[in-house]
Amino acid sequence: MTRTFSPPRPIWCAGCGDFGVLEALISALSELGVPTHERMILAGIGCSGSLQNYLSCYGYHALHGRVLPTAIGAKLANPELTVVAVGGDGDGYAIGGGHLVHSFKRNPGVTYIVMNNGTYGLTKGQVSPTSAIGYQENTEEDLDPILLGLSIPGSTFLARGYSGQPAQLLRLMLAAIGHSTAGNGMAYLEVLSPCVTYNDTYRAWRASVYDIDNDKDYDPGDRAGVFERMIELRTQGRLPLGLIYQGDRPALETLSVSPDFAVPARQDLSDPRLQEDYRKAMQSFIR
Amino acid sequence: MSHSKPHLEDLNVVVLGQGGDGSLTVISILADVLRSAGLRAYTERNVLSRIKGGIVAATLRVSSRERLCTGSEVDLLLAFDALAVAKHVHRLSQHGIVIYDNSGGSLPADSGIADGTRVIGIPFSRHAIRNFRRDLYKNSISSAVIGRLIGLDDNDVRNSFEKRFARHGAQALEYNLEALAVGHELADQVGLTADQGLYRIVSADCGPQMLITGNEAVAFGFAVAGGRFFAGYPITPATEIMEWLVKWLPSFGGVVQQAEDELSAANMAIGAALTGTRAMVATSGPGLALMQEAIGQSGMAEIPLVLVDSQRAGPSTGMPTKPEQSDITLMAHGGQGDFPRVVLAPGTPAECFHLTVAACNLAERYQLPVFVALDQGLSQNLATIDLIEPGQVAVDRGKRLDAAALAQLDVYQRYAFSEDGVSAFAAPGTAGGMSLVTGNEHDQFGLVSTDPDNRRRMVQKRQQKIETMRPDLPQAVTHGNATAEVGFIGVGMTYGVILEAMDILAAGGVATQYHQLRTLWPMLEETAAFTQRCQHVFVVEYNATGQLARLIVAQGGEQAHICSILAYDGVPLRATSLAREIKDRLRLREDKVA
Repeated sequence: MTRTFSPPRPIWCAGCGDFGVLEALISALSELGVPTHERMILAGIGCSGSLQNYLSCYGYHALHGRVLPTAIGAKLANPELTVVAVGGDGDGYAIGGGHLVHSFKRNPGVTYIVMNNGTYGLTKGQVSPTSAIGYQENTEEDLDPILLGLSIPGSTFLARGYSGQPAQLLRLMLAAIGHSTAGNGMAYLEVLSPCVTYNDTYRAWRASVYDIDNDKDYDPGDRAGVFERMIELRTQGRLPLGLIYQGDRPALETLSVSPDFAVPARQDLSDPRLQEDYRKAMQSFIR
Repeated sequence: MSHSKPHLEDLNVVVLGQGGDGSLTVISILADVLRSAGLRAYTERNVLSRIKGGIVAATLRVSSRERLCTGSEVDLLLAFDALAVAKHVHRLSQHGIVIYDNSGGSLPADSGIADGTRVIGIPFSRHAIRNFRRDLYKNSISSAVIGRLIGLDDNDVRNSFEKRFARHGAQALEYNLEALAVGHELADQVGLTADQGLYRIVSADCGPQMLITGNEAVAFGFAVAGGRFFAGYPITPATEIMEWLVKWLPSFGGVVQQAEDELSAANMAIGAALTGTRAMVATSGPGLALMQEAIGQSGMAEIPLVLVDSQRAGPSTGMPTKPEQSDITLMAHGGQGDFPRVVLAPGTPAECFHLTVAACNLAERYQLPVFVALDQGLSQNLATIDLIEPGQVAVDRGKRLDAAALAQLDVYQRYAFSEDGVSAFAAPGTAGGMSLVTGNEHDQFGLVSTDPDNRRRMVQKRQQKIETMRPDLPQAVTHGNATAEVGFIGVGMTYGVILEAMDILAAGGVATQYHQLRTLWPMLEETAAFTQRCQHVFVVEYNATGQLARLIVAQGGEQAHICSILAYDGVPLRATSLAREIKDRLRLREDKVA
């Protein structure tokens, strides 16, 4: 067996919520039977940006904020891969916020996991888009990415987990990867993942999380109803967890990758049959 | 009588109208008719950055030999907008003819037309609206009149119309053919009967020709080179690359994704390239500025990426529809940190095709960013070129490992040190090739490392690729007299105007040689050698600071021999004025020496 890189020990602080995310991801991929060489895990910049180093996969460390466009390019070029993009709240909601909007709109078959800790941990505790009012003298309302996702008609899967509740997190991770690999498009999974060093929110979050999966009357397929419920819970100061919204729309790659060819990454570029197609294109210039 | 007519050797036609009038359509229809008749055609567009309105000038040059620039004088001026005549009439040649649309009245008295100039007024617009209820049909009507004036066969024009409009549907074809007939009737009425044409059209036997812009040639080259992923964001004057690929790439099994901005476009292309797919982006200066971080990522993480920069007048938003070559420094040196890259510079649409193929091969073989440097003129001006033979394109995918090759290895390292600086690539999905790709400094496995010894070796490994690839880089093409003391250097759209200025200078007894370099970075030694050999080297470029000349001097060029000819007013150079300028400069330089 060819030796490749050996995953090192994570660089995260003891107690970091990201450990729970890594555990859940490893378990979900193995439970779903995704071979290591078919996993493409792309990470943003920040503490969460080293996650791909800690499991066997094809890993990529993206530019700050650009993990989603990179993942979309990879998925379109090779839809056969299981593409998972990960990052933090600064990476995904601040510098990369514009891409999140357009990724919801495009609905690519990518699982996107955001480890939200409400701070910039790696640069030592600055205010992030999800910091609460009062954190480091923050005066701005926090950004609610679930409401953002709901407001974009193209979104098909919105969920939130908590690294302090591993069983539910694994369930959500399985559902998310299942959704994006089945041709249903982008699975967005936010994980509340506390930063024990700069913004230890374990106690506050434990007190405010609300498990919507246990809500019998809740219908995750009803976008308007979900919206209303989310705003209601937010007003009550609660943080909803669970599968929040799931819709039905074809994935980007099912619409834009031609079924008549091998996927772009696996095409034989020296196939002589291509010559005829090229000549057709050339003829179009002899107008 | 027809025997006394001159053969058509070189003709310049300008069509003036309001933006949206269809001036460019007239020009491209005529270009096609003349191409079919066995002549060479070149068009130039002078438009504003707005959809409708403003004066648009479209120029067509037809000649019996390749001329990739418009002529210094205009033989035939067609104006849909009578007010536009005054601005362009100074370019009219001694025997020039003005045709204008008199639907709105006669030409203003202050149009500046010289006495004795033949002026023909025809109400194109009125006839278009009366017959077809659409002003746009004046284009087809006027094409008929110009065809008559030049001496084109009515049937040849008709055949071209059939070809062009067939794909727009039966009704469009019918109306345009009718418009053509209306145009021929109007021509008869003003005495331009079929035997009254100015020229005898004799095929120059140029062989079968394609009519293509640089942008289209780049897009076509990318597809034939096996490019299968393109991401872009609309920007003038690069957009037609994306438009062509949107239309064609899916039919070769490729994917085009329009992005929300250039940051996204460049990173999407990186994502596709990570999977082992040939990927490209195309943009202009403002977009290239936004892509800088991704370009550094491609250099550091060793990801093949082809970037096309269709340069326009900068800085900032600049003049979007006007040509410039002012991103040369940005392409050669942009980005944070040190990393290897290649900058290729085609001079003709044919080279746009071939150098894009070369860019794809170089990018994948050496795993780095490769630029294709265009400018607005080369990007958007239509020209006839010899047929391209797609079957002759060679695709070189570099060091790639499949599962069987990986199984032979004890250990696989994505960034393994190697003599040539290139490490083998295994595409995601290949068993046994798991790897980490990162823009952080890394060890051979791709794990983050700040170890000083590893750092030195990794920097050297990446730089080594520059040395390894030198023999593979496209060399300069030289034109003209190999022993001339006067030399030219220029890239992109300076190609045609330099060649024509050389002819003018040669006719006046000044021998010159043109060193048309095609690899701007890393610059090959041939360029410095050329500046040493020639006593006077005129570096012609479209920018204010002599970016190309400075690059050449920094790479060993002989500064004392170099003289910059700079244009940055957004107007393409004309050969006669360039030749005049060279003569003046030579006199000054020789006086100095004396």
